[in-house]
Amino acid sequence: MTWRAALLLAAGALTLPAWPSPLAGMLVMTGAVLLLVVLDRALAVPPSALTATRDGDRTVRLGGTATVVLHLGNPSARTLRAQVRDAWVPSAGARPDVPPTRLVRVEPGRSAALPSRLTPTRRGDRPAVALTVRSLGPLGLGFRQRSERPATPPWTLRVLPRFDSRRHLPEKLSRLRVIDGTQVTRGRGQGTEFDTLREYVVGDDVRSIDWRASARRADVLVRTWRPERDRRLVCVLDTGRTSAIRVGDEPRLDTAIDAALLLTALAARAGDRVDLLAADTAVRATVTGTGRPALLPRLVHALAPLQPALVETDFDLIAGELLRRQRQRSLVVLFTALEAGALSAGLLPVLPRLAARHRVLIAATHDPVLTALTTAVPAQPRDAYAAAAGWRALAERDRIRAALARHGVLVVDAPAGRLAPTLADTYLRLKSQAQL
Amino acid sequence: MTATTTAGARTGATTTAKGRGGRGRRWHRIVIPLGLAALLLTTTLVTHAVDQPDPDAGFLSPVATGDHGGSRLAAALRERGVTVQRETTTAAALAAVRSAPATLFVPAPALLRRETVRALDRLPARTRLVLVDPARPVLVSAGLPLLPGERRWAAQALGPAAGGLPCQLPELGGVGSAAVGLQRYTAGSYRPEQVQFCFAGALARVSGAVEQVAVGASDPFRNDRIAEWDNLAFATGLLGVTGRVVWLDLAEPEPPPATGTGRPSRTPATEDGPGTGTGDGSGDGTGTGDGRGGPGEPGQPGGPGGGDQSGSGDGDGEAADRDDPPNPLWAAFPPWFWALLAQLALAVLFLALWRARRLGPPAAEPLPVTVRSAETVLGRARLYQRAGAREAAARTLREAALTRLLPRLNLPADAAPDRVAGAVAARTGAEPAATEELLYGGEPETDQDLLELARALDGVTRTVAPPASPDVPLPDRTEGEPR
Repeated sequence: MTWRAALLLAAGALTLPAWPSPLAGMLVMTGAVLLLVVLDRALAVPPSALTATRDGDRTVRLGGTATVVLHLGNPSARTLRAQVRDAWVPSAGARPDVPPTRLVRVEPGRSAALPSRLTPTRRGDRPAVALTVRSLGPLGLGFRQRSERPATPPWTLRVLPRFDSRRHLPEKLSRLRVIDGTQVTRGRGQGTEFDTLREYVVGDDVRSIDWRASARRADVLVRTWRPERDRRLVCVLDTGRTSAIRVGDEPRLDTAIDAALLLTALAARAGDRVDLLAADTAVRATVTGTGRPALLPRLVHALAPLQPALVETDFDLIAGELLRRQRQRSLVVLFTALEAGALSAGLLPVLPRLAARHRVLIAATHDPVLTALTTAVPAQPRDAYAAAAGWRALAERDRIRAALARHGVLVVDAPAGRLAPTLADTYLRLKSQAQL
Repeated sequence: MTATTTAGARTGATTTAKGRGGRGRRWHRIVIPLGLAALLLTTTLVTHAVDQPDPDAGFLSPVATGDHGGSRLAAALRERGVTVQRETTTAAALAAVRSAPATLFVPAPALLRRETVRALDRLPARTRLVLVDPARPVLVSAGLPLLPGERRWAAQALGPAAGGLPCQLPELGGVGSAAVGLQRYTAGSYRPEQVQFCFAGALARVSGAVEQVAVGASDPFRNDRIAEWDNLAFATGLLGVTGRVVWLDLAEPEPPPATGTGRPSRTPATEDGPGTGTGDGSGDGTGTGDGRGGPGEPGQPGGPGGGDQSGSGDGDGEAADRDDPPNPLWAAFPPWFWALLAQLALAVLFLALWRARRLGPPAAEPLPVTVRSAETVLGRARLYQRAGAREAAARTLREAALTRLLPRLNLPADAAPDRVAGAVAARTGAEPAATEELLYGGEPETDQDLLELARALDGVTRTVAPPASPDVPLPDRTEGEPR
């Protein structure tokens, strides 16, 4: 029954003084209202007869708004008057155009479109949870409602990472072009890979004159060099427990995904082949970069549903996967946390095997709070203790960094917002120095 | 390209499992505590009902041989040479007591009428009156200066001197523990010198011409428990003092007598006069005082005293007699008012039913971890502070400062303290000895010392090795860079 039944009963109560026998009047009125409710409920459209389908956006970038439309069909012979609640998970940020308090009317044989606007607050797959239809009778006194009648049409909105660091991309690309030699701002291209021979023009470096080729021809030829192309780059994302920790205002994994996307975009433009592996105790996602044009969208889709798992990462598994997949020497960029416990127990034992085949780079973020603790002038005894704890954490990180450096591993350790550009700079430096 | 995501399927499976288990657990959450409470209540009530005798079925009758009867007590009294005279009406019992000094044993004083109880204090002198577990109305009517105190759920075995005071009843001197501790009595606001307590208040004697004894439990007299503890000795000792026991054995509430109690009954109108405004318990003393012109002694024989005390429990008596007429509140409003109230209550019930049906279940989802990465560092700082680890903190701060200073001073990591102090002092302009004390000194004594040390180290490092840029918190760090 609805509030109308209660209101009807309350209004009827006011007529009681006029009844010859008030007690009998009360019983008669209550019985009448109950009878009306039962009758009204029987006249309501049964929810199990309804049909529900969805269409609309499948993906949205984090921060954007998607629209998913629910089509509620009424195949019965009666007009449907219903309250409809289309529930999504809270982080999907769903705002239905027709709120559940408003009545939806669907004529017999027709269907109604009920759009929902979704502004997700977190990356990942955001599913629709439950569709509830409360079918009211013609008087609005009684209703029918059963869970999963009609069944909730499944729909999952994939929220893609925001890729905030793409604002750094033009600058990094221009630096790449300088290194590549296609854009002469600082000089000609540098590199170690032989490109072509061309005639000497005034201003060329005399050290790059190829005397042997000049001897064969009647002209002075210079060798041109370019950075190596078709190098291999593997991004490895650690989705274990250390990636769940919040650095700044997002999980460490999101920072890593952002940096990985920038690095991939840059490396794909530089002509390198990019693979991706995400793993904790099991492999969560792999992307093998073959078709270059569509690499970035595919990578984004593969990374979007990744969630941190609260388990210790199995670096043995990661090393095995890398050694099995990557036969050629590659640059392995491992996105993890510089945490003594996790790395010394997991990574250090397998690092020699990995470093023997590949060039390993560890990209880690740290909390800017730590830096603030150690650089601020202490004002209270509490600050002095905090500074001591901060310095101790930094010293521990230095120790693990030194241990990693002994294996020839490069470490990029940047505060949360600076990881992506710092990593891109490191990549460009390696590229220009032909250390890939 | 192969993009595999197994996380989705796994999460879905766990969600359904959790949903099923969650519903079951929610059900348990309601049923288990309520069931436990109900079980506890039922057990307690059933045990109590079994333990406590039903006063109707031959309760403490000298001829009843059941568990709650008093045949064993009567037999034991006869063995000791005490005459046991069973009387089944109050009038006969009172008459029997008047004939010779005796002990009037009233096992069920609640069955007596109020007027009868009032008459009990006008018994002949040297009579002992024993009341078993008298309730407050009985105490008030009988004019006993006692108030019921703490009541237990089951009788407790107590020694005569329990509660700290020696028992002043010589006939109970040889008794050890007896199970009398069910109801305890206190003297309330009365003068305590005429009242003696034994068994920690479970036995109260009001001395006077008529010796009135209130016993807190029926257990020592009952057939089923008389053999326990020293119950037999207690019961026979208490009842056998005068050599004759008049046993008032009532099977049912006393019928209203005509004029058998030896006192003319008053009309309610006259009784209402002194009783108005005095309440039930404390009104007793007031009423007595009014009648005598001074603090009276309840329990003394005499017409005026007994007459005045009658003002006390009248309010109770009137209310008890008038439970036949309906509550006047019903007649205060017309019948439609009550019907209207009932219908409005039904309407509210309908509203509750409407609100109780929710429009679909709440949507649940796993939440992300909210632990910040600096959490452990901050926690360690708080631990340092709570433990007062000034030495460890100072050592860490000094090591960190030296790590930053030595590369700037072009000194090796194992440079001698005086060299380092000299080089630093040359840059800062401070005394080398003070600088050495700062960099290699002892443990700070207080938190304030530690704070000053931290500030001084910070100042020295800022002078000698200033941070690169205040805007960028840390420069790009790669392998091999010195910190």
